[in-house]
Amino acid sequence: MSEFIVEAKGVTKVLGHGAAQVYALKDISLSLRRGELTVLMGPSGSGKTTLLSVLGCMLTPTSGAVRVCGYATEGADAKVLAKLRKDHVGFVFQSYHLFPTLTAAENIQLALDIRGMHGEDARAKSLDVLEKVGLAHKSSELSARAEWGRATTGRDRARHCFQTVRYPRR
Amino acid sequence: MPLNLTLALRNLFHDRLRFVATTIGIVFSVVLVMVQMGLYLGFGRMVTTVIDHTSADLWVMRHGTKCFEDPSLLSHSKQTGAAATAGVAEVTPLVIGFSGWILPSGEITPVFVVGSDLQILKPWNLTEGTVRALSGSGTVAVDRSYFERLGVSGIGSKANIRGLPVSVAAVSEGIRSFTTTPYVFSDLSQARAYIGIPSTMVSYLLVKLRPGADLEHVRHDLQASLPDSEVLTPAEFNERSRSYWLLGTGAGAALFAGAILGIIVGVVIVAQTLYSSTKDHLDEFATLRAMGSSNGYIYSVIIYQAVLNAVIGFAFATLIGFSVVEFTRSGALPVLITPMLVLVMLVLTVVVCIAAALGAIFRVVRIDPVMVFTR
Repeated sequence: MSEFIVEAKGVTKVLGHGAAQVYALKDISLSLRRGELTVLMGPSGSGKTTLLSVLGCMLTPTSGAVRVCGYATEGADAKVLAKLRKDHVGFVFQSYHLFPTLTAAENIQLALDIRGMHGEDARAKSLDVLEKVGLAHKSSELSARAEWGRATTGRDRARHCFQTVRYPRR
Repeated sequence: MPLNLTLALRNLFHDRLRFVATTIGIVFSVVLVMVQMGLYLGFGRMVTTVIDHTSADLWVMRHGTKCFEDPSLLSHSKQTGAAATAGVAEVTPLVIGFSGWILPSGEITPVFVVGSDLQILKPWNLTEGTVRALSGSGTVAVDRSYFERLGVSGIGSKANIRGLPVSVAAVSEGIRSFTTTPYVFSDLSQARAYIGIPSTMVSYLLVKLRPGADLEHVRHDLQASLPDSEVLTPAEFNERSRSYWLLGTGAGAALFAGAILGIIVGVVIVAQTLYSSTKDHLDEFATLRAMGSSNGYIYSVIIYQAVLNAVIGFAFATLIGFSVVEFTRSGALPVLITPMLVLVMLVLTVVVCIAAALGAIFRVVRIDPVMVFTR
């Protein structure tokens, strides 16, 4: 098994058609190890989001190869990509996108629910991660109404929480 | 409770104004369809009310008779031939027809006269007087709901039919005609006089079978021995009358058109609401897709919303529907809501609401999970 958890070789992503065609990524290669922290930096429009989308199995490259946890993404359909994301990829999004009608704990449980963890196990897990970021006492507050849902620091902590449960391999 | 159901429930109640508007729309739609179908059933039952209250095993009528009210006549002499058929216990002549009821004031109102031996067919739900009293000369039974129309007030009231004096000897409750023309029951010979049918003619022959006789066999024999006649079971005659009045006259089509209109209104309202609700939560649904949620999981949230909307709206609509039933119970055309109609309406409401959710589902299908990085 490869020592790399994410590998990209000669990845090119072309967006648009004809005269509007743009090379968002051109011949990108990289390898990321398990447990490694990598920061991707670049000016606006340089292709960071496109690269993250390709590495996060949301987009497939126009050419080149991507392997995530040993699984190749080229030629994979939307269903296979969704399963790869569910099983192997975690996200911390720029915006929060919390369901405003669910409580803090329920938002975390939702992330677990789609991965097949339900009921008491999911509830215990959600409380556990909320405890870790100091939000256990806000677990039953609706995200639309709760202070943590409005305050940036609180939301960041909540976001970290969701990242914790969504990220399958640490 | 499954989390996707919780999410659907919370999304539904999150925007209360939208929820109330949707519920009102569904209630309006379901009540409209339910009342239209209830009128259809009520109309169907009224059309066959006399047939339903007749204890004959077979009806003999002139060939081509379209409905119970059809003025076609048979020769009375056929009664002898019918009675001689093996398996027949009894043959009773029945005459029916429209006539003019002359009020004491001289005003004439149309009535529908039904005359028989008052055994196989007799007025039901009598609240005053007896069937036996109708054997007296010039006596009739009328329904209480037509008192005002007929200018009578109860037992002993006098009037005229085609110039012949009549006296009310029995009063029924709830024998209403879908034509709004009052039924007047009397014995056979008097009915002939009231309608103007010669004694050699009858409208129908009502056949009772001997115990153990084979209905199909007797019917076949009767049919063979009575040319120019038709022999129908009560169920067949019911169906023929119902088809004539509901389908042949277009009345049923009008009721169905109203029901279809109700369904369309319901679909549009639910579809619009679910679509806008889904659109409001596109970012969250996109997040779910980005996290690898299956399409089925997201669809289940939308479909749960549709079903919850359907069930809540249906519950209110059914209460209103039964209020309408009570309100029209003694009216000219009672709305009839049967348990089967309620069940069918529930299934229809749920199916229609799920169908209305398709717009929202197609919108979710088009979500690109990449959008969560750009918002």
